[in-house]
Parts: sequence; structure tokens; C-alpha cells
Amino acid sequence: MIGPRDIVKITLNLVVTYIIGGVLLAAMYAFTSPVIYKNAIKGKRVALEKIMPEADHIEKLGDWAIHDRTAEYFIAKKDSSLCGYIVESYGKGYSSYIHVLIAADTAFRVKRISILSHAETPGLGDEIEASWFKKQFTKKSTAQMKVIKAPTDEYIQAISGATISSRAVTEDAAKNALEFLARTTKGKADNGTEHNQ
Amino acid sequence: MAPNTINNWELIRRGIIDENTIFRLAISLCPAIAVTSTLKNGFLMGVAVLFVQVMVNITIAAMKNFIHPRIRLPIFMMVISGWVTITDMSMAAFAQEAYKQMGLYIQLIVAFASILAGAEMFASKSSIVKSFFDGIGRGAGFLIALVIISGCRELLGKGTLLGITLLGGAKPLLIMVLPAGGFLTVGLLMGLFNWIDVRYLKGRA
Repeated sequence: MIGPRDIVKITLNLVVTYIIGGVLLAAMYAFTSPVIYKNAIKGKRVALEKIMPEADHIEKLGDWAIHDRTAEYFIAKKDSSLCGYIVESYGKGYSSYIHVLIAADTAFRVKRISILSHAETPGLGDEIEASWFKKQFTKKSTAQMKVIKAPTDEYIQAISGATISSRAVTEDAAKNALEFLARTTKGKADNGTEHNQ
Repeated sequence: MAPNTINNWELIRRGIIDENTIFRLAISLCPAIAVTSTLKNGFLMGVAVLFVQVMVNITIAAMKNFIHPRIRLPIFMMVISGWVTITDMSMAAFAQEAYKQMGLYIQLIVAFASILAGAEMFASKSSIVKSFFDGIGRGAGFLIALVIISGCRELLGKGTLLGITLLGGAKPLLIMVLPAGGFLTVGLLMGLFNWIDVRYLKGRA
């Protein structure tokens, strides 16, 4: 039987355990989060250089927003002439937001994509990191950012068992990023000519 | 059977064979199906569970006298999620390469019945040392089960093992890497182990 003394004991027991647990986790978070943040920034810088090896100068143009997150976009130059753009983007996947980096050429066709982070299902959704999947994007335009459940050269073939993750990368992250890029950089170029006149 | 009278090797053997989480107790079948489409996934998941199981068992055994029996489950959950979060954060910060491979699995462990079973059935009434060996046994049993299941599924479903093509000529059975194939594999393996038990090992224990 539970008496009044037990109720006090139970309450104290829970409170003490949860406070200790909470304090431990908070301390752990305070200790590790700066390192994790630095790692993420470093990972992004490494990925930026890797995704556009032909460029010798990568410069940030600005920020844009997708799924309430801030993403950056960059311009890539070689011998000070434009050779493409790199956009950071997010796609809403099955169990996470998939963080993607997309390199595009001057005609806004994909050069390469790189998956920075995600928490999709291991064994199914995590195949978005596989090179056969990422290679499909090369030289494809915004209109070709479409997932098809069959072998295709025109569009992107879905990963079997992970259609939602495939769509998130293709029709969400990549397509939105390319559309944004076309919109923004064209606008910028126009503004530039207006200024010159 | 009083938990503190079994010797340590017997505890490990029991966790792997007699009380194997997947094939005997049939708990934590969800990860056994969800993350066993390739051998690599199954192995890494098993290692992550082994670690968390041992740490949780030790912690629960150390604080068993402070836990009021009426509220043991919320406290177990706190300990489990605490260890999972600590492992997740410290790996993300200091073992980046490993985290890239294992990060996806660690966060899933919070909800595993196998860890809770270890805490509830053993660690909450046993000494720290016994709980350590029980954790090793349970974790290893889980790891071995996952390796067997994922090995079967990858070999039949993709024709590869650890990404190396072994059955190059045959067309792989796609169903084996999908969830339905997971149910089939777990069911058939469970049947196989029960059959071996009945046919050859009956009366031994």
C-alpha cells in the first residue's frame, strides 16, 4: 500500500534523479556543443572545396531561407571568371531535414551534389549518400529534378524503399535551390546592367 | 534463480543463447528489422546497443538502492536516454569519423525494449559486476543476432556482403532488403533456432 510517506519519497526520488540527469546532460551539452558547431562549419568548408574543385575562388553571395532554415549561397570563380554557383539547401525527408550542398554551372544545371547531414532510416534512406544516386544529378536542369520509380536517364531514379528521401533531395532541396539560384542571380545580373547604364 | 548466484561466463552465455534478445525473448524486433538491410548497418547498430546496454546496466545497478520500485520505469528511461544522449553528443564532438557511420543508429537506441529489459529484469536487482557481465551478454546476443539477420538479408537481397559482390550472376531478391523481407528473415531464423533447440539441445538445460 502507498501511504503519504511513500508519496513524498516517490516525488523526492523522481525530482532528485531528474535534476541530476538534467544537470549532467546540460553540462555535457555545454561542453560538446561548441565543438560540434565548429565541426559542422569545418565540414561545410571542406565540402565546399570538394564540390567545386575546378574553382580557385569561392565567395559567399548571401543567405536564403528554406524550411525556416538559413542557408548560404556562393559564387565560384576560376581565374576571376564565373564558373558556377554553390547553394546550400534543405529537403524535408522521411525522418529529418536533409542538408544538401548543390554545385551548379552558369546555366543552372547541377554539377554535383553533396549530402552534408541527415537522419534518414539506416539501410534505406541513408542510400541518398551513395554515389550512384548522387551521380544521377550531374548535368540535369531544374525541369529534370523529378523522381521516377524506374531506370531513367532523363530524370532521377528513386532509391527502392526510400522514395520519400529521394524526393526530398531531388524535388525539394535541389529543385528549390536551383529555382532560387536562377531567380536571384538573374535578378542580380539585371540590376548590375541597370547600374552600368 | 537468484541473479547473484550465476557465474559471469554463464551470464554472458545466457545473454547470447538462452535469453537471446531477438531469437528467444523476441523483443526489440523493430530495430532487428529496420536497420538490418545490410551487414554494415546491422553490425554498427549492434555495437552501439552493446555499449549503451553495458553502461545502462552498470548505472542502474549502482543506483538500485535509491530507486523507489513504484517509479523505476521513469527512472530507467532517464538513465537510458541520458546515456544515449551523452554517447551521441560526445561522439559528434570527438569522434567525427565514427559518428558519420554510427550517428544514425545511436539516437534510435532510446526506444529499445532490449535495454529496458536488461535494466528491469537484471540490473535493478543485481550487483554492478554481475550487471556488467549481463550487459555484455545481452548486448553481444543482440549484436550476433543482428549480424546473422543482416548478413542473410544483404546476401539474398543485394547479392553482396559488406558491399562486396558475392552472388554476381543471380538477380537479387529485392524483397529481402525491404521491411517485408526483414519479417521473413527474423521469422525463419527464429524458427530455425527453435528447431535446433528442440531437436538437439532439449534436456540439456
